[in-house]
Amino acid sequence: MFRNSDIATTPDIAPSERKGIRSWLKIQVESETYQPPRGGVILLQVLVGLMFFVLITRFWYLQIHRGAEFTRQAQENRLRIERIFAPRGRILDKNGKILADNRIAWGLSIVREDCTDIPATLAQISAWSGTPLPQLWEKFHQDRFKVKPYEPLLLITDMDFGMVARIESEIFAWPGVKIEVRTKRSYPEQDLFAHVLGYVAEANEQEIAADSALSMGDMVGKQGLELKLEQQLRGNKGLYDVEVDAHARVLGKTLREAPRGGHELRLALDTDLQKAAWDALNGEAGCIVVMEPDSGKMRALVTSPAYDNNLFAAGISLKDWDALRTNKRFPLQNRVIQSTYPPGSVWKLVMATMLLERGVQPRESVFCPGQVKLGNQIFRCWRRGGHGSQDLVHSLINSCDVYYYLMGERLGIDKIETFAKACGFGSPTGIDLPHEKSGLVPSRQWKRRRFGRPWARGETYNISIGQGFTLVTPVQVAVFVSALLNGGDLLKPQLVDDAPREVRGRIPAKPETLRFVVDAMRRTAAGGTAKVVGRKDADMGGKTGTAQVVKLKMSAGDRRLRTSEMEYAQRDHAWIATWGTKDGKSYVVVVMVEHGGGGSSVAGPVARKVYDHLFGPSGSSASAETSTAISHRPTQGRTDGEPTPSYTPELR
Amino acid sequence: MESQPHRTPRNYGDYMDKRLFTYINWSLLACLFLLYLIGVGNLYSASGTRLETGLAVNSFYQRQLIWGLCGIICMLLAMVFDYRQLRNLAWPFFLVTIFFLLLVPIAGKSVYGAKRWISLGFMSLQPSEMAKLSVLILAARLLARDSRPLGWKDFCAILSVGLLPCTLILMQPDLGTTLLVLLILGGMILFHGLKGYVLKTCLLAIPCVATFMWFVGMHDYQRQRILTFLDPSNDPRGTGYHIIQSRIAIGSGELWGKGFGEGTQSQLRFLPERHSDFAVAVFGEEWGFVGCVALVTLFCLFLLSIFSTAIQAKDRFGSMLVVGVFFYFFWQIFINMGMVIGLMPVVGIPLPFISYGGSATVVNFTLLGIVLNVSMRRFMFKG
Repeated sequence: MFRNSDIATTPDIAPSERKGIRSWLKIQVESETYQPPRGGVILLQVLVGLMFFVLITRFWYLQIHRGAEFTRQAQENRLRIERIFAPRGRILDKNGKILADNRIAWGLSIVREDCTDIPATLAQISAWSGTPLPQLWEKFHQDRFKVKPYEPLLLITDMDFGMVARIESEIFAWPGVKIEVRTKRSYPEQDLFAHVLGYVAEANEQEIAADSALSMGDMVGKQGLELKLEQQLRGNKGLYDVEVDAHARVLGKTLREAPRGGHELRLALDTDLQKAAWDALNGEAGCIVVMEPDSGKMRALVTSPAYDNNLFAAGISLKDWDALRTNKRFPLQNRVIQSTYPPGSVWKLVMATMLLERGVQPRESVFCPGQVKLGNQIFRCWRRGGHGSQDLVHSLINSCDVYYYLMGERLGIDKIETFAKACGFGSPTGIDLPHEKSGLVPSRQWKRRRFGRPWARGETYNISIGQGFTLVTPVQVAVFVSALLNGGDLLKPQLVDDAPREVRGRIPAKPETLRFVVDAMRRTAAGGTAKVVGRKDADMGGKTGTAQVVKLKMSAGDRRLRTSEMEYAQRDHAWIATWGTKDGKSYVVVVMVEHGGGGSSVAGPVARKVYDHLFGPSGSSASAETSTAISHRPTQGRTDGEPTPSYTPELR
Repeated sequence: MESQPHRTPRNYGDYMDKRLFTYINWSLLACLFLLYLIGVGNLYSASGTRLETGLAVNSFYQRQLIWGLCGIICMLLAMVFDYRQLRNLAWPFFLVTIFFLLLVPIAGKSVYGAKRWISLGFMSLQPSEMAKLSVLILAARLLARDSRPLGWKDFCAILSVGLLPCTLILMQPDLGTTLLVLLILGGMILFHGLKGYVLKTCLLAIPCVATFMWFVGMHDYQRQRILTFLDPSNDPRGTGYHIIQSRIAIGSGELWGKGFGEGTQSQLRFLPERHSDFAVAVFGEEWGFVGCVALVTLFCLFLLSIFSTAIQAKDRFGSMLVVGVFFYFFWQIFINMGMVIGLMPVVGIPLPFISYGGSATVVNFTLLGIVLNVSMRRFMFKG
């Protein structure tokens, strides 16, 4: 190697070398037989090989081994899913009249990302809409973490068209402000169907957590049919694949799934009938059920007082909500299914059916002296003078209490309990409405569990006339009366028009038994306690009931207080359970007037008005007399079941 | 030895020797132009941005094309003179570089909080780019003095030559270039050979120097980058975002890639720095594993072509010069690709020919001009 002479100058220049720029630029070569260092050569080759190996391995790992995973992540980066609103199914009545509709509602929202000056924008929105600024700020702070910066944050929900037009003309000056078109549920009949339809409102967090199809801001049914038939009404949302860039700007949308609107529901209810029934109640607290006994279809379902369900659909204010909640007459309560009452004498229909089935002979008579004694307790008949000798038919026609005291005693509570439960009492009817009550059929076990005391004989007396612990809902009574008429089938009350007949149970009774009871009802309507509903042009039947809320109050002169003399909350509930058939059409009408007083005097005329609508007006002499007598319980003379002569022309 | 063993041309006519062309490293030239074209094509795709209205293509690829032409001219200029002249120019060039580097803190303009540029009115000059070149040439000159492995004295002398500009560059701050200059220098020294005890001591010293750098020599953001490299999920919105998105881009290319111009990660701007430091991620997304293997292979062939010139060179200075160029490219390719695929921390080092960069392209072409210069003048030593 060249240890001493590192630099060998080129021979043709070297000898005559001179100082200066020329010599400085001379080319020097250190060696003529240069060999690269062996170690260095190997180093370079190893480095290239190593690089190749490392890079290829890593690319394989990223692109082949984990490629699918990264592809998915790239998709997630790029695609967002956007839901497309599907219109909720409308609800119509039997004749196609709209009961629940979707209307367009304009809202105002801001997109935070596009909004240059949020305080000024909110102030402007406040000026446009008249909403107080602090309220807007509150809403803004509440929702800002629920929506992304590029998504609209809804501030004003329901603007009228005039306001929209005004904002539209000024909106260009306010970047980030957007007018939103949304649909709102509206209920044109307002109070009339409030309890049946219920209402929708924005889904809360629990509902969203429980149902994957729901997302923030969706409307879901909260009450009534809207809640119960939510799945049918809601429909399926559509999906957009939205392509976004790293700044979340939307670049394009592809439809992945088209939205499918909810099913349109046609109800069995008849708006005109509902309205007539509503008017017949005349603002009293109570309810009316009109049911077709053969199909189980509900033609009217009125409960009063009611509320305007549009208030809820629009987002109820705290003030309105408090007013409804604290109202003494409980307008939120659906009395048809949610209120339980002692059935009073209507219960005698159940008892009569049972007695016949248990072998009591229809001809067997019981003497009614006006009261019976059990130990030191006195059980009175409603008629102080007594009914004299009563067989089964007359006990129904006259609603004789003593007959049932004694007969009920003979059968015992256990048989009554079993039979009543078989007739559908004590369990819900299965109507398509939420929060239906079961009512109560008491038993020995129940008594012991509830009060820790054994069953007392006197309680059987009370149960036998539909008092005491027994509690029923009006819809249970309607289902039972329908079963009497249709041969014993306890039907599910159907609110939807095309719903099939659904038998949920059977009255354990022979057809003759049912015919006997139906005939007794016919005679009751013709000349008994229910003659207020009797009419010449139709086949009618009924049974009244006057359910005591508190124990009999006697005034000083051992005289029963008149209804008008009692406190409202202590007044009797007025019941009437009726049926009517005309031109091959049958209806069961059950009327319950809360704290109304007497069944025949208060509930009867209401039922009569319903039939007037169903069958056309008719004036019967019997009704003319009694419908005026509201304030006291009329004492009706004993009839032989013959129809009262009528002056209306024969329609048949 | 024959009649004209060391002919040194004295007039330009001498340069027209036919052998000049026969000895040109044609495989290197082929690799170079292939890489350059791949780079321009990839830049076309990488500068596309998908907007609501459609695809908007930035003009990066056009500018890269123009810079490439400038580079080719510089390359030709670097080929026409005898490379051995560079030996004489090494020191003056080095001093000029130091002068400019000193000028940076005084007259430099600030970009992103770092002063790296000097405005010359008509163009901006990046003295750190000059530093790579001048250190390379000076190191080649110094290493060419002796064939023996370096002892302590020579080692320290050469190292200090490198450390002076490195300190100045580190102050700008520009960690990437500092590192690159040191690595080129280190590579050349290793190629040349060290005495056994020097090498061992150096290997032992590396951890100590690294610790010192960590606590004293580094800025917070640089420490942060290394921490994030070790665990990108640490900082998914900041530095980690680069690494995560780049891995997603490359990984989602899978075997065959998404096709040219179809990369969603890049066109939807999820991938940061997609036309500069992370350009190869765009390539990986669009061409998949197959494309990446081809590209890596091409880069390796490219490096081996340079390597062949280094061992064929007939003088030590030429050989060292080419080895310097080899390391200049080797480190950039390895560090940049390693960074993009998550094997190395994020350091601002571009990928030669693939990343967009005007002055870098010109420097790349110029350096390869020097390599070609060395290769074509091999015959001058032959008999």
